[in-house]
Amino acid sequence: MSESANTTVRVEGVSKQYDLGGTVTALDDVSLDLSAGSYTAVMGPSGSGKSTLLNLIGGLDTPSSGQVVVNGQDVSAASEAERADIRGTEVGFVFQTFNLMPRLSAVENVALPLVFDGWDRARRRERSVSLLSEVGLADRTDHVPSELSGGQRQRVAIARALSTDPALILADEPTGNVDTDTGAQILDLFDDLHAAGNTFLLVTHERHVAERAERIVHVEDGHIQSVEDVSGGQD
Amino acid sequence: MDTGESVRITLRSIRAHKLRSALTVVGVVIGIASVITFATFGASVEAEIVGDIETSNAGNIYVFGTPSGDDDFDRTLQPVFTEYDIQQLEGITGVQAVLPRGTVQTQSVRHGDQTLARQQVTAIRPASINDGVLVDGRSFETDEEAVVVNERMARSFSENLTTGERLTMTMPDGGERNVTVVGVVNGTRGEVPVSEFARQPRVYVPIDPFYDSVVESPSAGVRQRAYPQVTLVVDPRAIPETQSAIQTYLSGNSDARSLSADDTELVARSGNDFVEEISDVIERITRFVTGIAVIALVVGAIGIANVMLVSVTERTREIGIMKAVGARNRDVMQVFLVEAALLGTIGSLLGVPLGLLVGYGATRYAEVTFSLAPLWMALAVAVGVLVGVVAGLYPAWRAARVDPIDALRHE
Repeated sequence: MSESANTTVRVEGVSKQYDLGGTVTALDDVSLDLSAGSYTAVMGPSGSGKSTLLNLIGGLDTPSSGQVVVNGQDVSAASEAERADIRGTEVGFVFQTFNLMPRLSAVENVALPLVFDGWDRARRRERSVSLLSEVGLADRTDHVPSELSGGQRQRVAIARALSTDPALILADEPTGNVDTDTGAQILDLFDDLHAAGNTFLLVTHERHVAERAERIVHVEDGHIQSVEDVSGGQD
Repeated sequence: MDTGESVRITLRSIRAHKLRSALTVVGVVIGIASVITFATFGASVEAEIVGDIETSNAGNIYVFGTPSGDDDFDRTLQPVFTEYDIQQLEGITGVQAVLPRGTVQTQSVRHGDQTLARQQVTAIRPASINDGVLVDGRSFETDEEAVVVNERMARSFSENLTTGERLTMTMPDGGERNVTVVGVVNGTRGEVPVSEFARQPRVYVPIDPFYDSVVESPSAGVRQRAYPQVTLVVDPRAIPETQSAIQTYLSGNSDARSLSADDTELVARSGNDFVEEISDVIERITRFVTGIAVIALVVGAIGIANVMLVSVTERTREIGIMKAVGARNRDVMQVFLVEAALLGTIGSLLGVPLGLLVGYGATRYAEVTFSLAPLWMALAVAVGVLVGVVAGLYPAWRAARVDPIDALRHE
C-alpha cells in the first residue's frame, strides 16, 4: 500500500473479546490509522476499551479478529517472541504507575530495553546517559527509583521508552500519578519529543491532557464514537 | 540477553533479600558439606588402608581355609597346611619364600614382676622378620630360645621391654620357658593385611622349637607340623600365574584339601585381592553414607525452589516490566534461572571448604591420613549448580509464562 510509507500504525477491523465467565467485548470492529510523526489522544471513560486498544497496538495482547500493523509488522499475526521484539524495538511504553525496575538505577532502567535488544554494556550506558540528560535528569543517573520524585520517575520512564528509538510511543495516563504542575511538565516534554519527530498515542480520561494532541479519538463501549481534530487549538 | 546483566539483576535481588537468600544458601551448604565430608573421609580411610597393604604386601599370596560362600577371612582357622604342603608350595615356579604361621597357646607372659595373661603368641619362621619390619635388634634363629615382640607388646609392660631382656612364658601345661627378647618389630612379613587394623600386643617365637601342632600328613604318612595359614612371597612379575598354580595345587592333592571339611574352601588370595576387597567394602560404605548426605542436598534444592517461587510471585510486576520493554520468555527464564543457579553455586562454594574442614577433623579424630577426593569436590560444585538450576526450572518457567498485562496490574 502506498500510504504505508508514512503510516506508523494501522488498526483494521479489530475486535477483542475476553472470556470472563461470559464473553465480554472490549473492542468491536475498530479501525484507526496513526501516521508517522502524529500525536493522537484516546479518550473515554474507564471500561470503554481504550486501554485494550493500547495493549493491542503495543503488542502486549493479540486481537480476537482484525489486524494490527505497527511500522510494517503485523502484530496480530506475530509469535510471542516476535511480539516481544516489537515491544522492545518498535514501541515505547509510558505507564501511569511508571513501572520502573525498583532495584535498578535510572540509567539501568533506561538501558533495559537495550539489554533485550542485544546492545553491549558500554553503548547501552552511553545511550542511556544521553537520553537521561535529554529529559533533564543528567544528575540523577545512578539513583534508584525510590530516590526520585514522581515526575523524575516518569522522566526516567520516558527516557526508557525512547531508548530503542521506537516508531511509536504509547502513553497510558502518563500524568495520572503526578501533581498538576509535574503533569504539565511531562506533557511539555511530550510536545518537545513530538516536535522532534516522535509519534505519540496517549490514553487519558482528562480533556485538558487530550487537548495537547493533534486529534482526539473518543472511544465508548468498544467503538470509536468520533475523531476530533484539535491541532488548531495547540500553540 | 547478556549473562552479565541477568547476573546484575540477580545480585540486586539477592541483596534485597539477604536473610532469605542466606538461609536458602545454608540449606545447600549443609548438603554439599555433608557429601564432601563423607566422601573425603571415605577416600582418606581407603587411601590409608590400601596404601598400607600395597607398600608392604605387593607380592604376597595368602593361603588359608574358609567356609564356602563366606568371603571373609576367618580367624578360627584349622591347622591343615602340613610341612609336606609347604615343600610342595616351595617347588612351584615363581614362589620365592613360604612363610607359615601358627598360634602357640600360653597361659601368660611375665616380664620382671609383671604378668600378662592370655597374650597372643605367634610362631613364624625367622625369614618372616627382615629389616623392613625390625625396629630394634635382630630376628631369632631356628632352635633359638629367643623371641621377637611387636611395639605394642614392648609397651604393654610398665617397664618397657627392650632387646636383650628376659621374658617368661607359662605354657598350658604349667611349664615355664625363659626366653630372650632379641628384637622389636612393627609387624611381620606375610601378615594377613586385615590383621594390621587390629594390631594387638604380640610375641613372635620361632616355629622350632615352640610350635607343636601336628597332624599325620596323608601324603607323607608321618606326623608333621601343620599350620592354619601360609603366606607365599612370589615373583611380583608373575603374580597371576603363580597364584593360579598355587590354587590348583591346593584344590588338588594337597594335604590341606584332605584334612579340611568338604565345605571348606582353600583360597590363595593376593595382596591385590585384599586391596580390591577392602576398597570395595569401603567404597560401598562411603557411597551409602554419601547417598544419605545427598538427601540433605535434595532438601537444599527444595529450599531453592521454594524461595524462587516466592520470588516469582513477588516480582510479577518486574516480569511484566521486562516483558513490556522487550524481554522474551527465555530472557525472563534466564533471570530466574541465574538466580537459582547463583544460590546453588554460592552454596557449593561455601559447602566445599566446610565439608573439607569437617572431613579433615574426622580424619584427625580417626587417626588416618587426610586425602582429598578431587573428583567428589568437582562433582559437588557441579551438583550444587545443577541443583540450583533444576530447582529453579519450574519457578523460572512459571515466571516466563506470566501474562504481561496481568503482571503490570499486579501490586
